[in-house]
Amino acid sequence: MNLTAVIEGILFLKGNEGISVEELKEILNVDEPTLVPYLDTLKKMYEEPNRGLKIDYLGGRLKLTTKKEHKEYYEKLTEEEISSTLSPAALEALVIIAYNQPITRIKVDEIRGVSSQHLVRKLLLKGLIKEVGKSDQPGRPNLYGTTSEFLDYFGLKTINDLPKIEEPESLDEETNLFESKYTETL
Amino acid sequence: MEYVVTIDNFDGPLDLLLHLIKKMDIDINEVSIEEITKQYLNYINTMKEMNLDIASEYLVMASELMEIKSISLLPKSHIEEDEYVEDPKETLIKRLIEYRKYKELVPSFQDLEDERKKEYTKSPSDLSEFKVVDEEIDLGDLSLDDLMNAFKDFLKRKELEKPLNTKITKREYSVKKRNNEIRDILKKKKKIEFEELFDIMSKDYIVVTFLSILDLARKQDLCIKQDDNFKKIYLSLRESD
Repeated sequence: MNLTAVIEGILFLKGNEGISVEELKEILNVDEPTLVPYLDTLKKMYEEPNRGLKIDYLGGRLKLTTKKEHKEYYEKLTEEEISSTLSPAALEALVIIAYNQPITRIKVDEIRGVSSQHLVRKLLLKGLIKEVGKSDQPGRPNLYGTTSEFLDYFGLKTINDLPKIEEPESLDEETNLFESKYTETL
Repeated sequence: MEYVVTIDNFDGPLDLLLHLIKKMDIDINEVSIEEITKQYLNYINTMKEMNLDIASEYLVMASELMEIKSISLLPKSHIEEDEYVEDPKETLIKRLIEYRKYKELVPSFQDLEDERKKEYTKSPSDLSEFKVVDEEIDLGDLSLDDLMNAFKDFLKRKELEKPLNTKITKREYSVKKRNNEIRDILKKKKKIEFEELFDIMSKDYIVVTFLSILDLARKQDLCIKQDDNFKKIYLSLRESD
């Protein structure tokens, strides 16, 4: 049985749900070192310019997607533009949750200086965030975190691929002192 | 005429403050609380004049700013002691910097969002039609027979739930006729379970059958036996000696 072909079929069937390496290992009954070359072969095949699909690793799952450069053609398939984007406010709330998860809604409100209740509800409905537990604070408010769909939505492989936050240049004198001392002792 | 950015363009008071600071073209750490308070209140007042609804958060921030300003005007000799009071202005600036940190990330997420939208995926295929029903249920000690019996009982109960047959065709049952029938049955089967005689679920039939049983018993033709309370009742013909 050609596993490369089987993987291709699985990815086709799974669509935007994708499949994790773990699940693949189980279905094909192989270990990771065996699996990786098959995946690589498939990936390489799709990289050929005469292929219309490619394998993406999104939100920790392998998915079959179309290629960016063909977008203009696919757009002609739809009558009107249907893709909607998140509002800046929703993005703001989402970004705060992504970098501070798990986080309560109150904390998001605090950072934004304005209520985020309807935004959080919207993000929950879109499946971009989910409840991940309860805080120990009074009232045991829900803690929120981002989902695999969130990573997919922004084309990220894993949570480690979040854009890095540029820390403000204003390092306190205290930290500077500490760091200089540290280098000296080294 | 100067283009006025209305309050609806802002996502809350911190956003507005950042906007004002940006307009003043100064570093966020160098902001004069007096100046920013003035600007902020000006803005809020302009919006009021334009009859725009101002959300309460903006008013809370206005009062916070005024409080910070008033504190900064007071001589601060009396808070030398060990109680550490955080400078409210610093707190506000920290909040602004923190907020700005995320706000500035929004465009890069918008870029990511746009990029991702250039790729399409399809919904997962519906594989349910290929599903093999192989779900094994843990039956524990149960056997197939138990299940079948349970199902039979269920059907029986179901049967009893049915409204009684309401055929209007008048079929007269007579105790005498039923007596003979029961005798015949007993002759054939020797011993029979009480309930077996009630094979037709009609009120007449049940009543007549019951009367027959009583009648036969009275005539000493029938022997009725029950081993214990609630056990099954068996009927047999009394040996005619």
